[in-house]
Amino acid sequence: MHNTIFFSSMLSTLFIIILPAMKSMLNKTPPTPNKMKQAVQLAFMISLIPLLLFINNGMEATLTNFSLLSINNFNIKLSFMLDSYSLMFMPIALFVTWSILEFSLWYMALDPHITRFFKYLLTFLLAMLTLVTANSLFQFFIGWEGVGIMSFLLIGWWFSRADANSSALQAIIYNRIGDIGLILMISWSAMNLSTWQINDLFSLDTSHMIPSIGLILAATGKSAQFGLHPWLPAAMEGPTPVSALLHSSTMVVAGIFLLIRLHPTLEKHQLLLTMCLCLGAITTVFTAICALTQNDIKKIIAFSTSSQLGLMMVTIGLNQPQLAFFHISTHAFFKAMLFLCSGSIIHSLANEQDIRMMGGVKNYLPITSSCLTIGSLALMGTPFLSGFYSKDTIIETMNNSHLNAWALSMTILATMLTAAYSLRMVFYVQMNSPRHKALSPINENSKTLINPITRLALGSLVAGLLIMTATLPSKTLLMTMPTMMKLLALIITILGIIITMDTMNWTTTLPMKTPNFNFYLSNQLLFFNIFHRSLPMKALKFSQSMATMTNDLLWSEKAGPKGMTMMQLPMTNLASSQKSLMKNYLTTFIITTLLTMILLT
Amino acid sequence: TMPAYLNHQQKVLWRYKRDLFRDQYRFFACLLRAHFDEKRYGESNQAVDAGEEEFWDRQHPQPYIFPDSTGSTSYERYDCYKVPEWALDLLPPSEKAMYPDYFKVIQQIQEESPVDGPWTEALSPAHKKGTCLLYGGIM
Repeated sequence: MHNTIFFSSMLSTLFIIILPAMKSMLNKTPPTPNKMKQAVQLAFMISLIPLLLFINNGMEATLTNFSLLSINNFNIKLSFMLDSYSLMFMPIALFVTWSILEFSLWYMALDPHITRFFKYLLTFLLAMLTLVTANSLFQFFIGWEGVGIMSFLLIGWWFSRADANSSALQAIIYNRIGDIGLILMISWSAMNLSTWQINDLFSLDTSHMIPSIGLILAATGKSAQFGLHPWLPAAMEGPTPVSALLHSSTMVVAGIFLLIRLHPTLEKHQLLLTMCLCLGAITTVFTAICALTQNDIKKIIAFSTSSQLGLMMVTIGLNQPQLAFFHISTHAFFKAMLFLCSGSIIHSLANEQDIRMMGGVKNYLPITSSCLTIGSLALMGTPFLSGFYSKDTIIETMNNSHLNAWALSMTILATMLTAAYSLRMVFYVQMNSPRHKALSPINENSKTLINPITRLALGSLVAGLLIMTATLPSKTLLMTMPTMMKLLALIITILGIIITMDTMNWTTTLPMKTPNFNFYLSNQLLFFNIFHRSLPMKALKFSQSMATMTNDLLWSEKAGPKGMTMMQLPMTNLASSQKSLMKNYLTTFIITTLLTMILLT
Repeated sequence: TMPAYLNHQQKVLWRYKRDLFRDQYRFFACLLRAHFDEKRYGESNQAVDAGEEEFWDRQHPQPYIFPDSTGSTSYERYDCYKVPEWALDLLPPSEKAMYPDYFKVIQQIQEESPVDGPWTEALSPAHKKGTCLLYGGIM
């Protein structure tokens, strides 16, 4: 029984997404963008079923449908591997895509080709899910190329711009260089192992380095590691929903996902693992330094994505694929949310993307700026938000491993820089007074804007905890370590915040000559000031604000008009559940009465 | 181009800035004028090039460009707002005379290409190798 539900829900998830994307090919009018968003929402709900089955009784499966080609002993089959990685990634990808499609209803509302935009996003999603669930390397390659092509079409959405066209070409060409590695791997395994099934690959002898080098090259190209990274910041030419979906949560993690999937072939070569480690370390620190100097808000977040991808590569180099996957999952939530918040700000300020001309956004876009702050805190690894569980664990594992010290120090430096550029972005965008022109009233009154952002905020608050408690670790956890090692990530982040705030203050204020210690001794080290003045004043002000707020909230609102509404509305809603569908009511009445009569006799 | 609203600090500083920084701006403007006069940037083409080179050395790494201006994020996004090339033919002769070299090259290309448009992708001889039409074929 579990089998049936499992497989049927998995396949129907994929089928639900194929339908809207293909309707236009069948010469029918394509569904409205709202319907496409609802399709993805439905697919997300359904994909939770296999996930819950997996969490409940650890059910993983491989589904092989039919052979596409079979020559002697070489078969290419259409097969889906539904292991922990794909079962966990599918709902996350669908959740993020649902939120982004709903956001696109607001962001691309004035675009004349919005239906085509949604169709492209759905096709991309389909290719991504093919990539994630592929058991056969051929199928994986189909998904890999599919996401590359859709990335090209979506980055060059505004094809009138020369820069957009060149960025789309850049994405394709850099990905192509990575594809050389993937094709190397595929052809090597076809020639030497005569199979393309991933679960067969693990049981065969892959002690050659060639396929693994090909895999690393593929990941370097697709996941924008150092050397093949320029396409990712250039890809910000596309609309913000594209950046949120492709270039932060789903497509760029495809390279890392490949390395995670084929990890058993990679972990036999310590040299290649160390290469991954160093490549990831240099990526993360280089792109974090670049992010610190950017003035375009989307580029800051793009470089931040690249930095986190470097961190994922570092985790692969530490021989911890599950931890890398955990970071992919949590990163999807808060990075997509950061992009959506930036899209909300950009659209409200009439396409202004330069943070030097933004400011004071917290006053008139409160929800967006709160979610921007939550996303930045999750990115920095604030304790008990979602980013903490994955990022902190990675840094702890790094600290306690026997590895390249340079890679370790670069990663720690990058953690400090993450705090620095996140803080810089938050301060420039939200704080102080506005530096942009006075525009028509800036608001966030649209439900299609607020719901996705708050949904992703909820995800980035709890996803880390949920995923951690629901999955069993495949490698033994570190139970004990020195206190300093445990706290290092937190200390580094706080240090980064303090240094950034200091540096920013130095540029705007003149240094005051603070009195020396003897002066303070003559004031009993401010004992009187603190305990007689400031603490009581704080307590009194706090109690006053609490009292007035509670007064307002309770007696002026809840006990009066709002309370009355709260009581009356549910009753009215309940009592008016009739929808006057007389025919349907009569039909069901007649059918059920007839059935009862037949069954009773 | 005022910002959305001014707080008290801004109102105070606004008046201060109007008096203070205008003086500073005039000071630096005069300095720059003296620099230009001394180096004689405006006098010959080589001097203009030298001035361009000095500007290149001293320029801001990421100058702020308005979204709809050339080279910024929102420029040329929609095809329907771009002016097509045949609109250049509609310019009055007095304005065409302001760009003689450019229109000379355009005329040469038109004479050398077939009436109903080019048949191959090969460029006509009027396109000098390595020149950019943007500066009238000079550079």
